[in-house]
Amino acid sequence: MDIAKYRDMFLSEAAEHLQQMTALLVAVEQQPADKDTVAALFRAVHSIKGMAATMGFSATAHLAHHLEDSLDLCREQGQIDSEQIDQLLAGVDLLDGLLDDITAQRPERDVDGFIAASAICLQELGPEHMTPVEVADQLDGEGLRLELHLAEKVAAVGPRLLVLIRQLEKFGKVLETSPSEEQIMQGGAPRLLRVRLQTALSQEQLQQQLRQFSELSDILFPVEKASQRPQKKPATAASTVRVSTDLLDHFINLTGELITNRYSLQTAASEQNWQDLHEGLGQLTRLVKNLHHQVLQVRMMPLASITGRLPRAVRDLCRSSGKEVSLEIEGADIELDRAILEELTDPLMHMLRNAVDHGIKERGKVLIKAWRERDQVLIQVADDGCGIDPQKICQRALERNLISPAQAETIRNYDLLQLICSPGFSTAAEVSATSGRGVGMDVVKTAVERLGGVLLIDSVLGEGSKITMKLPLSVAIIRVLMIDCAEMLLALPITRVLQTIEILPEEIQTSGKQLVISHQGELLPLLSLRKILKRPKGPKQKLLPLVITEVLGRKVGLVVDRLVGQREVFVQPLPTPFERLRGCSGGTILGDGRLMFVFDLQSLLEKRRG
Amino acid sequence: MTKRVLIVDDALFMRNLLRDIFSEAGWQVVAEAENGLRAIEEYNIHKPDLVTMDIVMPELGGLDAMRRILSEHADAKVVMCSALGQERMVMDAIKAGAKDFIVKPFQDQQVLEVVERVCGE
Repeated sequence: MDIAKYRDMFLSEAAEHLQQMTALLVAVEQQPADKDTVAALFRAVHSIKGMAATMGFSATAHLAHHLEDSLDLCREQGQIDSEQIDQLLAGVDLLDGLLDDITAQRPERDVDGFIAASAICLQELGPEHMTPVEVADQLDGEGLRLELHLAEKVAAVGPRLLVLIRQLEKFGKVLETSPSEEQIMQGGAPRLLRVRLQTALSQEQLQQQLRQFSELSDILFPVEKASQRPQKKPATAASTVRVSTDLLDHFINLTGELITNRYSLQTAASEQNWQDLHEGLGQLTRLVKNLHHQVLQVRMMPLASITGRLPRAVRDLCRSSGKEVSLEIEGADIELDRAILEELTDPLMHMLRNAVDHGIKERGKVLIKAWRERDQVLIQVADDGCGIDPQKICQRALERNLISPAQAETIRNYDLLQLICSPGFSTAAEVSATSGRGVGMDVVKTAVERLGGVLLIDSVLGEGSKITMKLPLSVAIIRVLMIDCAEMLLALPITRVLQTIEILPEEIQTSGKQLVISHQGELLPLLSLRKILKRPKGPKQKLLPLVITEVLGRKVGLVVDRLVGQREVFVQPLPTPFERLRGCSGGTILGDGRLMFVFDLQSLLEKRRG
Repeated sequence: MTKRVLIVDDALFMRNLLRDIFSEAGWQVVAEAENGLRAIEEYNIHKPDLVTMDIVMPELGGLDAMRRILSEHADAKVVMCSALGQERMVMDAIKAGAKDFIVKPFQDQQVLEVVERVCGE
């Protein structure tokens, strides 16, 4: 049995158990005497223990066993106190770290320190200590070599191995075992025993004798391997996703239809039957659209898959700060592309920490709300705390030279709030351990924008803050606005476009050196895409197409040659070395074979500044 | 020949459960004991083919009871009954001469496989 092939399965299942444990631990604090929850916790950690031991991840199994003991104690006490919850949560974190180690194929990290530190509260349980046991890869020397694998169902591994050794002693002389009896006695033995046995029995006879042990899943007689061990494959942490079989059935059906479609198109083409060809293409369009939809489904995951940790985070923050904050999550079933969700984990956590740390003073509520608006998903973190003080931001911005005193006079609240996303900005009077010093909102904004989204900040002093991420549903296939500029076709993600308008050249005004227009009561600076791309000036036009977008939190008008239209495109990252081109976030191939670049105005401008 | 077993456990529920398992499989339950001291007495009276021995019991624990039985009857066949997390104690018992062990929650097949294997030798 090649245990390694179960690794991914182990990792994904163990991770699920850990997530569940975190949620249960937070839940049980509200009802410390809830036996069912404690039992569920026990089962979860017990499963991890069993799986890890099977896999031979002894430190993981060891720690899980320790946590199991702690829970056992809680079970005996009939309740679980906050300190024990802290301890157990720390253990869950450590298990999380161990899974990281296993994922990266590193040796498992040390767990003895943690166990020793928390053993005091476990004294009542006696010396049930397990030490990770190493099994030799092979045993060298005379005698018959045996490899016995214990079945999954075997609950008590160490005792079972001892019984097996006793059994083998009846067949001859046991020369060596790995793990040794001493190691087995220490606990934490793996489900594998290698033995060198001096015996008069043949392999077949031995096999027959051992078959009466249904606890054995495998009885092997390995031949001596050359001492040179083959190099282990490099770690490839391929991420996996569970797909419902229904969806797979859809795929195969669609594939079948596509094959049929291909033949009808072929026939129509060879017969030059334009009517059939036309119909076939119509069908192809439908099939591809359907396929696209289904593939997206596979990539979609509910927001719940990343919000699982948040109640725990709030709980920890409350415990360390003494605040009383309740967390509510609405729309956790809203689905997004997994690639987007993965990028959102940290920003979301940061926004939550900000809300608890800086927003709420003593007690309050944080509401995380997700909803869909057409092909965008909005995720909002709202708190009913003290809100962001525009005066303080203005002051801080002046101190940091982010705005000039003149700007400070005229700057609007909306623009002021955007300043909290500037690198190194913070209004928290004191630095707190959790939110740190203002790093964060700029990171959040960058992450959101990298995904083709927009970050909106809204706050009312004394009433609270609402920070909203406006995100595309999927990263691979996005809707873009196509723009013509200096005979180049460029694309801008539609999520970045606030509005498109056309203006008359007469509407352009000047403010200092800057060209501006007045739009809906505010002055928008104008930028010329030709100028940014270092292209010669274009011919004079009667109407100037303008894309209103946001750069560094400020609304600007981008002058382009022509607005071509919108469409859905499949964006691919550019291959090396082109991915280093600043201002270009990917490319897509058009129906006629042309390459269209998706550009990112902000990084284009950064390059210009640099 | 019908095999004879002595069941030792402080919990009536567990004793009943084991009694059912053994009876259904055609074993004769010669006696039951609810602690280690009674177990030794019953063993001396009945000299059963097999003893199932719980570990944690009042008066005298299973390990000590087994040791005392083995010191008098070296050929006694004792199978330990353990709960999860008692591995260390089970290993001590095996080192001290227990033939095998069964783990709670008991499953008929698992119990019978172990005891029949032990008695088949």
